[in-house]
Parts: sequence; structure tokens; C-alpha cells
Amino acid sequence: MEVKKPKLVLVGLMFIAILVPWFNTELGNNFSVPEVSQEDVTFYEINPCKISLFQFISNNSESLYQNHYFFRPDNSSSIKCFGRISGVTVLQKGVETQFFISVGTSSLLNLIFQAVIWIILFSLIPKNNKKIVMSEKVKYKNLIILAVSYLLTFSIHAESRFYDKNFYIFEFNNLNSYLLIFLMFIFIVKNFVDTFQIRSNSIMNYLPYLFLFTGIFSGYNLVLYSIIFLFYGLVSLTEQKGSKIFNSVFLILSLWWLYNTKGSFFFSPGKIRGFTSSIYEFNASLFWITFSFLLLKGLWKVYTLNKDSFSILLFTKNLSLVSFFLILFGNLGSNFPIINFFNYYFFGLQRYGVDLNNPFAFDEFLVKISWRGLFPSSETIGEFYGLCLMFIIFVIIENKQLTKFHYLGIFSSALGLYFSNNRTAIVLIFFIVIFSYLRITKFYQIQKYKISITTISIGLLLLIFTLQSETWTESYNFMSESLIFKARVFQFDSIYSSFLLLINNPESSVIFSSFLSFFGFISYLLNRSEMWGLFIARYNPTFSELLIGSGPLNFGQLYGETVINSPESFLLPHSSVLSYVVFIGILPLMLLVVALFYLLLKNRHNYKFVAFSLYVFINIFKNDSLNYFSTFTLYALLFLLLYNRVKFNDDKSTLSAKI
Amino acid sequence: MSAIENICGIQPSNFVKPDISSNPNFIFKNDINYTAKQLFDSEGNTVFVNSYVECQHYVLGGWDFTPIKNLETDLQTSLLYVMIFLVAVTFFKRKFRVLKWK
Repeated sequence: MEVKKPKLVLVGLMFIAILVPWFNTELGNNFSVPEVSQEDVTFYEINPCKISLFQFISNNSESLYQNHYFFRPDNSSSIKCFGRISGVTVLQKGVETQFFISVGTSSLLNLIFQAVIWIILFSLIPKNNKKIVMSEKVKYKNLIILAVSYLLTFSIHAESRFYDKNFYIFEFNNLNSYLLIFLMFIFIVKNFVDTFQIRSNSIMNYLPYLFLFTGIFSGYNLVLYSIIFLFYGLVSLTEQKGSKIFNSVFLILSLWWLYNTKGSFFFSPGKIRGFTSSIYEFNASLFWITFSFLLLKGLWKVYTLNKDSFSILLFTKNLSLVSFFLILFGNLGSNFPIINFFNYYFFGLQRYGVDLNNPFAFDEFLVKISWRGLFPSSETIGEFYGLCLMFIIFVIIENKQLTKFHYLGIFSSALGLYFSNNRTAIVLIFFIVIFSYLRITKFYQIQKYKISITTISIGLLLLIFTLQSETWTESYNFMSESLIFKARVFQFDSIYSSFLLLINNPESSVIFSSFLSFFGFISYLLNRSEMWGLFIARYNPTFSELLIGSGPLNFGQLYGETVINSPESFLLPHSSVLSYVVFIGILPLMLLVVALFYLLLKNRHNYKFVAFSLYVFINIFKNDSLNYFSTFTLYALLFLLLYNRVKFNDDKSTLSAKI
Repeated sequence: MSAIENICGIQPSNFVKPDISSNPNFIFKNDINYTAKQLFDSEGNTVFVNSYVECQHYVLGGWDFTPIKNLETDLQTSLLYVMIFLVAVTFFKRKFRVLKWK
């Protein structure tokens, strides 16, 4: 592949831009920078923000590779302190002495610095041809850019409790303070939208990069890419082309969610930063409801504009490359503390990369330790590697020639899948490989009758064998009660969530008890008793909240309303379905499930759509994938693409990019 | 929060403000319960104050500069001008391109 010279210059300039800030030091200082030691870090205590990161590293070269050094961004530092060492903390963990080195990364500068780097990187995506650019001219473009910038600025105000500890000086009650942020957002939105518009046709094929460049600003609860969907969501609104039913239903639900937002519950976004509200309050709810609405409309708009340019070969090549880079940078980050810091900052991660430097490690019970690399969740990244393998299988089914990149993808994603230890994904991919093989060899069509009879017979035999066993009833009772048992462990004092009250009520209906028992049984099989038990101990909805939720992307009420015996670490519900029960309630969720079954039935001959949907829905039932922006966006767009396209004819696509 | 409260801390409950201006020989007494504070004026001169009344007097007299915070405010102001410039360039750049295409 030929790389154009201007692009090389651009990449070169970007590398310089990436490195320069970490040389920022107090001019004319003649400090003799000492090495950090367990006994003495006084130099760093009395000289905060005086020496650059580079000076620190050159005097503490072991901090580059020894894994008891941890570089951490200090978003609440001043502008002057950017790229300098703002403090060193020594912690004793067992026999190991850990050094936490805070590096000044002012939130105000992060916004502009990270955005510029990511937009430059985005500009490496091939451009559309000019005809397409002109046909996609947007009415009221500048007004929409201003509206998106205003919305993003409003999010800072709405979540001021979160931002309060991430800014050095910022008066949240003073309107003038927001002017600088507003201008920054205008600059970012304008440039990003312009860069996107002339490359929009390739976007579907570059979606996998969302998993590498997560694009979350350090110190913010925002993802860069959401700008595009907010923009196109507003474009869709101004064009008045969207579904009126969707708009009306969402409006009615929004009014209820806003009316229902009472109290104030803070939620530390943690690993789902960028795609969740940090507080359950009126203003934050208003922002996240608007965000969700525009995101959905934006996703649809982006899909309708660019669906024809999807190339399964290019998409799979990018999946393969991203899988490789995730393994590469994950490994580098876990072995070199400084790379871990740069990974976090320049990829825009929600959470620091893993510091376990042996991805093959087992614990003392000989159980494989999940290794997540860069990504915040090992299960979700395991799902991604599985997806890569699945698409490579699709490429083979389409009789397309595999390139060296695809072979790299097979190797990287198989390795990544093993590292992540996502057993569900491993089993599902195994089945997909078998079914695909039967399909390619046309064995299934020839032996359809025999295969069906054999599968049903084996299934029935297993079922009868299990049910007739004397221990079955005892085992079922034990397994189904494990969920309630765990829920009671987390229940604090005499405080009960409405869910626990319902469970404890002897007058609960037989249907509810049976359903709960079955749910408990499933949770036991999936090793989710603890997580879902925790959810039951917390979940305290009113009847209306159970039916239609308490607002999209907001965990504040769930995590703040009911006091429980908190577990040692922050745990999400470990089921996207449970998360969406909190967000939108069981009524809309059931409608979505019915719609999904209908679509699956209608499209049952579309092998790729069925395989993808089953793979995703079985996975999200038992993990939090849909709480990550990258996963939500990728799955939503792939669902639409695969639903509407049975065959992918790369030759007819309007792509200007070479594969 | 006022500048005095911000720099000198919360006013003591039994605080009575003495009339310092009418007494040219007024001498500030050290308050052992008060943590000494370093104040700065606009030219970077510095003074240590050892009581709330002394601190209040100096702050009202213009010694209300906190160098690091002031530097941050100045940098934020500069950043604001840079952003105004960049936003203007971004919008005009597009206009220029459109004219060139025509």
C-alpha cells in the first residue's frame, strides 16, 4: 500500500506534537533531580510542577520498565503544570513499594490537545469523492454545530460535581466561566464534523478503531465520536425525515423520566466513563436523555448515508489490525509503566491498561486470569476478538480471498480471546465455525433431516437424563436459591430494596417465584449469582420505574438510593439487559426483544445476520458490553448493516479506499 | 466566597475590626491560633501576616494576589484569545475554500 507524502508529514508532525508537552519544564531551573526512593520523596513534595516528565524519566530510568511505578494523569492541575510532575506518592503494598507519579494534565488543555490529535488521526481515513461530499451538504450546518457545542457545554454544568474535582480553577456557578469551554467545543465540533463529512463514506469500514482509540477526554465524561452522532441526530431532526412514532414515544418517555427525576445521587462513572451520567439529577437527566435521543437518530442517519460503502473485506482487515494493535499495545503497556500512561492518554481510555504483564497467567486455583490489555473490560474485549474471528469466517463464506492482514487477525484475535478468558465467546465462536463449515460444504442442506433428528434426539436424551436424576430437584433448588442468598448477603441492616421486599413477601405470586427461581438457576449456570444478587439488593424501583425505567444511561439512582453492604470493588450489573431494565424499564425492553425475535424470524435465511445477532445477544445477556460507547455504536451499526444486506459486493461499493 | 475569606480564612466569631487608619502607630499583634499566611501584591512583593486582622488589612490594601492562581487565570485568558482566533480561522477557512471552488 502506497502512503502519500503529505500523510507522512502529517504523521511526523503529530508525533512531534505528542512528545513536546512532556518536555515542559520551568525555564532556567538548575534542579538536581533526585531518584525517588521509599525513604525520600521530599524533592517532589516541595517542588510540584517544577520538572518535566522527561526530566523525571531521565533521572529515574527504572520507572520506564519496573512495574511498581505508576504514572497517573493529574487532571486537576494548572495549565502551567501540563506535562510536569505534580507529585509523587509512595505506597507500601505488602513487600512491594509502589510509586504513584502524578503528571500534570490540565483538563482544559486535554480537551483541545487530545481532540486535535484524534482529529488528525481521523483525517488519515481516505476521503470520499467530491460528488458525494457535495450531495451531503447540510442545511443550517453552523447552527447545528453551535447547538452541539452548547449541549456539550451544558453537560459540564449538569455534571459539575464530577467536573469539580477535575478542574484546577473553574467557577461552575459563573456563566462567564463556560465561555472558554464553549469556544473549545465549537472549534472541536466544527473541525471534527468537517473532517468527518469528507470521509463519511469510509466510516463504516473503520468502526473497529473505536476499540483502539476509545476517544474519551481525560478528566471528562465525554467521547469525541459522540459529536458526530449528536450532529447527525440534529441534522435528522431539522430534515424532519425520521420516524414520527419514535420521536413521539421518546418524547413521552422523556417527559416522564424528567418528571420522575427527584433527589440527587452521585455515581462514579469508572470504567464506563463517557457513556453514563455521573449524577441522577434533573439537569444531568435532561442532558443524557437528549444525548440518547440524538445518538439513536444520529446512528440511523449515519447508517442511511453510508450503508452502501460497507466493504466486508476492508472492515475485517481493520478488525484484524485493531486486534493486533490491542494485543501489542496492551502487552507494551503492561510491561512499561510509561507506555501504560501514554496508552491511557492518547487512546483516550476509560481506565488504565492492565498491569498484569503475563497474559498467560493462572491463579493459585489454576484458573486462568482474565487479561484485558488496554480495554476496560476483559469480557467485552473478548467479545470483540470473537467478532473478528466471526467476520473472517464470513469472508471465507463469501468466497473472498484472505489477505495477510486476515491471517494476522486470526492469530491475534484467537490469542486475545484466550487471554480474555471469555468462555461464552469461545463456545459461540466454536459453534459458528462448525455451522459455517457445514454450510460451506453444503453438508447441512444435503443431510438436513438427519442432522435435525440427531440434534433433537441428543438434546432430549440429555434433558431426560438430567430430569430423572434424583439429585436434580435438590440441585435445581440449590442453584435457583443462590441468587436470593447472595442478594440477602448484600442487604444492609433493615434496609430493603423493593425487589428484595417482593422476594421476601410470602404472598408473592407463584408465577413470580417460579420466574425468579429460573432466573436464579440461569444466574448460577452463568456464574452471575453474586452480580445479579447485588443488583437485586440495590434495585429499588417504583411500579412505574419498573415499567418504563428511570432514564437512559443513568445508574445514579440504582447505585445511590439503597444502602447495601457494598462489595470491595465497583461492580456493574454484569448484564446489559439488567442495565437497560434500569434505563428504559421492562415494557420497552420487552417490545425490543419481541422485535428482535420477529426480525430474526423474518431474516432466518440471512446466515450472517442470525449468527451475529445470536452471538451479540447471548453475550450481552451476561455482560455489560452495551454500557460502553464503542460496543454500543459498533453493534448498532453492524446490526443494521447485516439486517439489510445478505451479500456484500465490494466491487459495487462507492469506496474510494483501496483494500 | 469573598477575597478576604478566600485568602485569610473565615472571620473569627468574636472579631471586632479596629480602626487602624486613625492610628498611625498601630502595631499588629501575633495571633498564636492563626496560621501565618504569605500574601502577594501585583508586583510580586511578598509579606507574611500573623493574625486575621492583619491579613484582612493587607488584602483590603491590594495584597490579594495569589501568584499561582493568578498565573492560571492569566493563562486561561490567553487561552480564551487563542480559541477566539482559532474558531475565527476555522470558520473563515471554510468560507475561503467555498469561494475557491466557485
